[in-house]
Amino acid sequence: MSEKCSAANKGIFCAAVRANKQLGQRFYRLGLEFSGAGAEVFANFKPGQFVELDVSGTALPPAEAIPEDLVDVSGRKVLLRRPFSFCDVTAKKNKTFVEILYCVVGPATLRMTTLAAGDSVSIIGPLGNGFWVPESKKRALLVVGGMGAGPLEHLAKVFTADYPDMEVIAFAGAKTVKELPFEARLDEISQQLGFSLGEFAKYGIESLVATDDGSAGFAGLVTDCLSEWLGKSDLAGENMIIYGCGPEQMLAQVAEIAKDKKIDCQVSMERMMACGIGVCQSCAVECRVAGSNETVYKLCCEDGPVFESREVVF
Amino acid sequence: MNKDVDISVDFVGIRLSNPVLTASGTSGYADELADFMDVNSLGGFITKSITLKPRKGNATPRIVETDSGMLNAIGWANIGLDAFVEEKLPVLEKLSCAVFVNIAGETIDEYVAVAQRLADEKAIAGFELNVSCPNVEKGGISFGTDPTQVTEITSAVKKVSGEKILMVKLAPAVTDISVIARAAVEAGANALSLINTFTAMVVDIETRRPVLANKTGGLSGPAIKPIAVYLVNKVYNEVAKGSGIPVLGMGGIRTASDAIEFIIAGASAVAVGTANFIEPGCAIKIIEGIKKYCARKEIANIKELVGSLEVS
Repeated sequence: MSEKCSAANKGIFCAAVRANKQLGQRFYRLGLEFSGAGAEVFANFKPGQFVELDVSGTALPPAEAIPEDLVDVSGRKVLLRRPFSFCDVTAKKNKTFVEILYCVVGPATLRMTTLAAGDSVSIIGPLGNGFWVPESKKRALLVVGGMGAGPLEHLAKVFTADYPDMEVIAFAGAKTVKELPFEARLDEISQQLGFSLGEFAKYGIESLVATDDGSAGFAGLVTDCLSEWLGKSDLAGENMIIYGCGPEQMLAQVAEIAKDKKIDCQVSMERMMACGIGVCQSCAVECRVAGSNETVYKLCCEDGPVFESREVVF
Repeated sequence: MNKDVDISVDFVGIRLSNPVLTASGTSGYADELADFMDVNSLGGFITKSITLKPRKGNATPRIVETDSGMLNAIGWANIGLDAFVEEKLPVLEKLSCAVFVNIAGETIDEYVAVAQRLADEKAIAGFELNVSCPNVEKGGISFGTDPTQVTEITSAVKKVSGEKILMVKLAPAVTDISVIARAAVEAGANALSLINTFTAMVVDIETRRPVLANKTGGLSGPAIKPIAVYLVNKVYNEVAKGSGIPVLGMGGIRTASDAIEFIIAGASAVAVGTANFIEPGCAIKIIEGIKKYCARKEIANIKELVGSLEVS
């Protein structure tokens, strides 16, 4: 993880569905199992990398289970694969178990909800470059916006396992408490700053919650929560690193904060993608060229999805 | 079972081991697909569009999915001729399948410059002239919808192409595609490839704006296949058959039966495009499927199938 890691041995693999657990109105965790060559390849899957999932042949849920706002688009045929990161990877002997955190937003994710134990899905991966950990960092700040929780939960696990001396704190934001993609029950969510989300607490990592409407934790944007927290921090910027995953507006804010406080920062970008393997050229991310005013388009799938925030033109 | 079936194709004097290629812009510069298939197993490979100078391409979003299709507006994002020669050509030189370079430009001079530079490269079997891209302000489809300009550009490139196969890629949304096809052939094209994508638009009804940053994009995928089969058959009957020019058919091919439809309609070879995004390596399955079909139908040589459409 200290080196920038990239995809090796990518290919098309078949994964067995183990579970597909609903977390809230719209959130699910899909549990998958790889055996054989897939087990070996995905055992080395790095946080922030992604896969392309084919759900074009997966059935729709029954009409009564389709959210009202998706009824209109639910029948639309799915052609392309959909990109997802993993929120958990567990390699055991001859098997690798992974989990995908997803939110039902359209015809593909709607179909995903009907996947059940015993089904299998086609997956292309591992794809892209994950997060990396530069030398000399003492504290890592994970900044989650909504569905950005997945890869940062996986990163939290890796920190706990491989970087015992790193102090890690998670900041998780959403519009409202119901849009926090975590398993925590609502009644457990404290109005106080300092509430711990189970997904991070299980790795011994403190988490701070921010909601735009104040329905849980800090009332306001997660980036304001981060700023306020950094204002009280006595550690020099160079000893810290920020990892961000969430909506682009949030990432732009995180990048500003990181620049202002002179903190290294990596962000996981999101783009519409057709292939995920560098051929379609759809997922362009505008990046600065060091030492010049020029910009270039890099590919989210091949050059990212994790970029240094100072590189990205938001 | 497949032993006696010959699916190799004589394509303007070049032997393709089978009739299946990958289409321009859907398989990069070949090395990207190496993790998913043996590129040498293809009948041929077509690079993404190469322009004289590097191009950044359009702003995002550059794609959007539609029912059974997708729109793209990449805008010829590519590394440019010099970097192509330096970085990609050495990779392509190692391929044993036929390599075609798709050439694009804003002016006729740009097309000519690229063809001239590559005309002596042994790694390259031929050129595919992109006169049908809907996603750039200048060049592309603005050439391909006007027979006079098609004549001009084809003959200009022909002069510098040496021994290379010169294939012209046709736009589908024209009043009469055969007029354009004939213009290309009369100006020296020795193969035709069709179809490129259809100019199309998807509207975001919340913002009332086009989804693509480029506003419009090219529609590809299974949605366009029946139109592509029809146009291949039309060009085969009205232009290609009489002049002995092979047609490379494409548009929404995902399966062996899709490919066979094109061949029956008149394509000597086919190219797989959008399907590469979903199942990179599907071309290999398509090749196997074509062999099986020929064996089942007792077709000893795939030539028998080309243009074998029964209409009586």
